[in-house]
Amino acid sequence: MSRQSSRATDPRKISQELFTLTYGALVAQLVKDYEGDEEVNKQLDKMGYNIGIRLVEDFLARSGIGRCNDFRETADIIAKSGFRMFLGVTPSVSNWSPAGDEFSLLMDNNPLTDFVELPEDHSNLNYSNVLCGVIRGALESVQMDVSVRFVQDTLKGDNQTEIRVKFIQRLEDALPAGEE
Amino acid sequence: MTIYNLYVFDRFGTCLFYQEWNRYKQSGMSKDEEYKLMYGLIFSIKSFISRISPMDFKDGFLNYSTNCYRLHFFETPSGLKFILNTGLNVGPMREVLQHLYSGIYVDLIVRNPLCSLNKPIESLLFKTKLDAYIRGLPAFTADEGTQH
Amino acid sequence: MADDFIFDFLHMEIVNFVQRTTSPDDKDKVISKLEQMGYRVGQSLIEKFTRESPRFSSELDIIKFVCKDLWNGVYKKQVDNLRTNHQGVYVLQDNKFRLLTQMSSGKQYMEAAPQYLAFPCGLIRGGLANLGVNCVVTAEVSTMPACKFQVMIQRT
Repeated sequence: MSRQSSRATDPRKISQELFTLTYGALVAQLVKDYEGDEEVNKQLDKMGYNIGIRLVEDFLARSGIGRCNDFRETADIIAKSGFRMFLGVTPSVSNWSPAGDEFSLLMDNNPLTDFVELPEDHSNLNYSNVLCGVIRGALESVQMDVSVRFVQDTLKGDNQTEIRVKFIQRLEDALPAGEE
Repeated sequence: MTIYNLYVFDRFGTCLFYQEWNRYKQSGMSKDEEYKLMYGLIFSIKSFISRISPMDFKDGFLNYSTNCYRLHFFETPSGLKFILNTGLNVGPMREVLQHLYSGIYVDLIVRNPLCSLNKPIESLLFKTKLDAYIRGLPAFTADEGTQH
Repeated sequence: MADDFIFDFLHMEIVNFVQRTTSPDDKDKVISKLEQMGYRVGQSLIEKFTRESPRFSSELDIIKFVCKDLWNGVYKKQVDNLRTNHQGVYVLQDNKFRLLTQMSSGKQYMEAAPQYLAFPCGLIRGGLANLGVNCVVTAEVSTMPACKFQVMIQRT
């Protein structure tokens, strides 16, 4: 029995590895399936969106967080609660635009890219583009239309990873049928 | 005390789920029409209430009552709307509705890849769990049939 | 550290994606694509898992490791029952398989189960391959969320 215990591995660590490796296998499959990096980025964004609209419900249910008062509060919740809950990292929120409708999430350490090296012939690939889709999907579900893009990526030699989020408009509840 | 019926709408006004327990009188219209009216009512109450409110508020519309039933309302930040009609002597149902969302809907619909989020719910597991939960509530006793 | 559920959401969308991008009358292709992704993940995952572990003493020892440690790490529980015919066939039974528990308790959605079991089958096959055990892994569901994985060792 003593041998068994020496083999015990921290299950949390395995969750993390499993997730990172599965994501890596997905990107590898996409790179194989699609011609250009742009198309791969697009697919990752789309998949992220689909994940985001579900993930946000899970997040709201577990965190009990209510509707945000403003975009600054939204930014803080994404960074300090959302990223932390799901990825175990807390990006810093910075580079606010003067109008307060655009900010950056900065990460020194992106868990999706552990052990990843970008092949040289894929310089336009945004490996972690799924994150953009997740943020877009999640915010759309709480009635905020945003655009999200990668600005810097440590995989491409940048010092940190930067995701830019821009507020476009508030979405309203659907009007009841027959009312205009 | 009793529980009459439950409606769940998404933010596009689609009725995702409806179930009734001790409903003694029907509205006399098709279910689809009834759903539309219910969604319309909630939509109007919400916008009326926020316009007329003397100060900013967070939770918004919670419930209304008539001389025979009470309508309880709970909305998630993602715009899902839970509407539960109960007898008059049933207290606040906010926690119950919160549980329908976070304990049952999120677990069995959001985490079930075979359920689309914007289509009427077909999952039997969801229906069974929800029914058992409602029937197990202290507020659920079908003893008011004679009052109507 | 990633959240436990994040993998479930990712896996869900991967199945969705493979289905969406594969012709609907090519069900086998969907399964094999997912199985192969699982295989690659299983290979690397076991690598990290067993790096500092002592060597296994037998094939059964390896299978037990899959039932306990791998299962616990990936699905947060252990396999409920392990049977073998002692001729290279192992049946791993999980009475509440994590990726099926939200779907159904009974027969509803049964037809969709194979798509959600392909990646897990590949994961086992990849993990075992990395430990020097070549095998074929198939899954069988009779009532959700219970599920049986059959591991047939290939000896050549």
